[in-house]
Amino acid sequence: LWLECSMAAGGIMAYIVYKRKKPRTIPFGDGWWGVGEKTLSEDQKIYPFQVETSDKEIEDLYERIDRTRYADPLEDGRFHYGFNSTYLKKVVSYWRHEFDWKKQVAVLNKYPHFKTKIEGLDVHFIHVRPPHRENQKVLPIMIVHGWPGSFYEFYKILPLLTQSRDGVVFEVICPSIPGYGFSEASHKKGFNSLAAARIFLKLMERLGFSQFYLQGGDWGSLITTNMAQMKPQCVKGLHLNMCMSNRGFKVLLSLLIGPYLPFLVGLSREDVRRLFPFFEKNVFEMLRESGYLHIQATKPDTAGCGVNDSPVGLAAWILEKFSSWADLKNRDLEDGGLERKFSLDDLLTNVMIYWTTGSITSSMRFYKENLGSNLNNRVDFKTEIFVPTGFAAFPNELMHCPKSWAQIRYRNIQSYTFMPRGGHFAAFEEPQLLADDLFNFVKKVEKS
Amino acid sequence: MFTEVLLALVIGGLIYFLVQRSKNQVLTTEDGWWGSGAPCDAGEDDTIRSFRVTTSDQELEDLYRRIDLTRPFPSLEDSQFNYGFNSQYLQKVVSYWRNEFDWRKQVDKLNLYPHFKTKIEGIDIHYLHVKPKKVPEGTSAVPLIMVHGWPGSFYEFYGLIPLLTDPSNPHDLVFEVVCPSIPGYGFSEAPNKKGFNSVCAARIFHKLMKRLGFQQYYAHGGDWGWLVTTNMAQLEPKTVKGLHLNFAPPSKPGLSMALSMMLGRHFPKLFGFTDFDIQRLFPCMEKLVVESIKETGYMHIQATKPDTVGRGLNDSPVGLAAYILEKFSTWTSHDFRNLDDGGLTRKFSLDDLLTNIMIYWTSGCIISSMRFYKENFGQGLDAPHAKIPVFVPTGFACFPNELMHTPKLWVKQKYRKLVTFTPMDRGGHFAAMEEPQLMAEDIQKFTKILCISYLQWIL
Repeated sequence: LWLECSMAAGGIMAYIVYKRKKPRTIPFGDGWWGVGEKTLSEDQKIYPFQVETSDKEIEDLYERIDRTRYADPLEDGRFHYGFNSTYLKKVVSYWRHEFDWKKQVAVLNKYPHFKTKIEGLDVHFIHVRPPHRENQKVLPIMIVHGWPGSFYEFYKILPLLTQSRDGVVFEVICPSIPGYGFSEASHKKGFNSLAAARIFLKLMERLGFSQFYLQGGDWGSLITTNMAQMKPQCVKGLHLNMCMSNRGFKVLLSLLIGPYLPFLVGLSREDVRRLFPFFEKNVFEMLRESGYLHIQATKPDTAGCGVNDSPVGLAAWILEKFSSWADLKNRDLEDGGLERKFSLDDLLTNVMIYWTTGSITSSMRFYKENLGSNLNNRVDFKTEIFVPTGFAAFPNELMHCPKSWAQIRYRNIQSYTFMPRGGHFAAFEEPQLLADDLFNFVKKVEKS
Repeated sequence: MFTEVLLALVIGGLIYFLVQRSKNQVLTTEDGWWGSGAPCDAGEDDTIRSFRVTTSDQELEDLYRRIDLTRPFPSLEDSQFNYGFNSQYLQKVVSYWRNEFDWRKQVDKLNLYPHFKTKIEGIDIHYLHVKPKKVPEGTSAVPLIMVHGWPGSFYEFYGLIPLLTDPSNPHDLVFEVVCPSIPGYGFSEAPNKKGFNSVCAARIFHKLMKRLGFQQYYAHGGDWGWLVTTNMAQLEPKTVKGLHLNFAPPSKPGLSMALSMMLGRHFPKLFGFTDFDIQRLFPCMEKLVVESIKETGYMHIQATKPDTVGRGLNDSPVGLAAYILEKFSTWTSHDFRNLDDGGLTRKFSLDDLLTNIMIYWTSGCIISSMRFYKENFGQGLDAPHAKIPVFVPTGFACFPNELMHTPKLWVKQKYRKLVTFTPMDRGGHFAAMEEPQLMAEDIQKFTKILCISYLQWIL
């Protein structure tokens, strides 16, 4: 008996030591993404930036739109074959005759923009200070967008975050991922989410923030997670509206047992409703919706070529996602349900950011750089996250991630909320709901 | 003793019955209508009209204007063709296209062979019909239908046709060749209704050949042409005398294929694997799975969102060229991905490549060509034709750089009457265009064997 006890004790101690020895951070590293060789010193100044346009730019856009060669959609095709051509003509007609880009540029400029050089690239960001700071707790937060979005997705939530609630208010930084919009694209291979995370950490440091919150969806959720893994001491809290869960034994087990005994595997009734039937909802739907991901992760230069010449092609490619990812049922509609949650002005402004900067190809390359090799073997996917984390689970998100699955890697979940409505573009679609959840999460973290 | 004999007879009879049943499995299909709206009550116009490819100053000016408006985005340093078509090399191709490529001259070349159009199932079907100039005494030309794939066209066969209709060797067979364009490709009208898949194309091509007066004929195909001609053989096994293919990816892995993947590396002789088979198939994970994932992005998006992906390509000739020519580079040899110029002009001339692109561009058919992927894969891999083997005599030309390598064992799984299996010395996916001489030789070899055995049978 003495032998068994000491062996058990030894085993437990070994396990504890092993767990403690597991890395709690990922390496910070360094990088250079500019043209040619790295320069000896880098200009660290922050320059104000204004979005501009010109008559020439608008005329060029109109000429290309007028040259569009439409093809008839199949009878009763709706949105099952991609963006329906008949409805596309309506959107393009609005774009050509009613959409006012100069007015939208003024809207974009209502927040202050800046650019600064980091690791050889011009990084663009907006920096929004709350108008009333006296007697308020001002919390700095960086919000990171994804694809095919941009910093513009956050223009509806910004006024809500910079308005104080119970003495708490945010100071918001929204950068553009290098290769997206007004941020310069990398010239070297290998620019992945780890590089973006490091660049954004350097940006926060340059702006004088030593501790801050993070919020992200789509690529933004991966980048902010990496930031929390690189410098957990800087990240007070991490709020995500999308989670890429691991595959693994625990997930598999909950898939097998979940439909029958959900509570046994940590799934709630709402989780079950959103996850099952698993194959149909997650595997087949993923296959149907991930063609873009497959081609962007393998041949981005080819895929981006045509859509950088054809504004209508670019609009179809991007807006198809705003249709499907808000609600998969939109594919059954003749108009893709596009204008149910978004205004054409907002959607087209986002498209114009990709169009005027010609950044679609570099935005696609991010897929190859991240997914090109097996992601599950990357250091960040094998490392846990200990920073206080909050999840906002929207019902129409592409893939539902229950709390028990998120807990596999996110070891410090402070809040997990089932949202009543909304899809993938949460900040764009349901800014109020997301803002509410963000404030609640932050209050919890600040209290403890 | 008596019971044993009876049992043996019963079991034998059962096996025979099952084998006969599978032999008699024929693919069935219903009629279709692909025109817009409802079919008209009056019968269909089945006249055959002559067709000439034409162009105009306006068409060329529009093309040049779009080329001049292109907004190139530089490729990453040292990325060659690993991220897709290299932007720097693309500018060179486009410069040739803009300043030296002579479309009018190419149109004349296209018109060297007689083109026709005829309405079948509500849509205009385009095809070439090349009759041999002279046929040896006492024989008649062998009728052959050749079907192209994506992103190819009837033009891929232009080097091959004269070798078949006008062979230099007096002992070679003389062919009469029909090269249709799959509906939705090139000068064939695109279907207006959902559901136009390879079986529908096969049925339409049977109707075409019948309309031209052929009762029995041979078929050749690669890429989609492989599937369409295979379906033709499955629909009417008595009409298709012989099926010649250069591409035959297995649709359903059977027991022997699965076993060969697990054990083939260690017991190659057991499965009839040559050294080359081993080299191309193993390690399985890397050579079959990873390579496929790297190269099938286009297939995935075309099989799910064809209208979206084709949209920009129909406005941007440069985008269309990059999309299509990337395949002519990578599918000729995977190693070309590591070359700055993608090895594009090693096996093809820019004139030929651009002529193929111009067929897609001037007809505006890129979107409808992509829809074929969704219509065929839309139902998953469980279509009826995937489960039915082929009993028509088949000849397979195995080119070394084909996208999916299929050793003899795998081809025989579906093509039960494999008459010839020829490992070729060189060539990739676009074999007919790359190595017309080798292809012609194999078609001759295959057809001669069948003609001789047919003669022997009737004598």
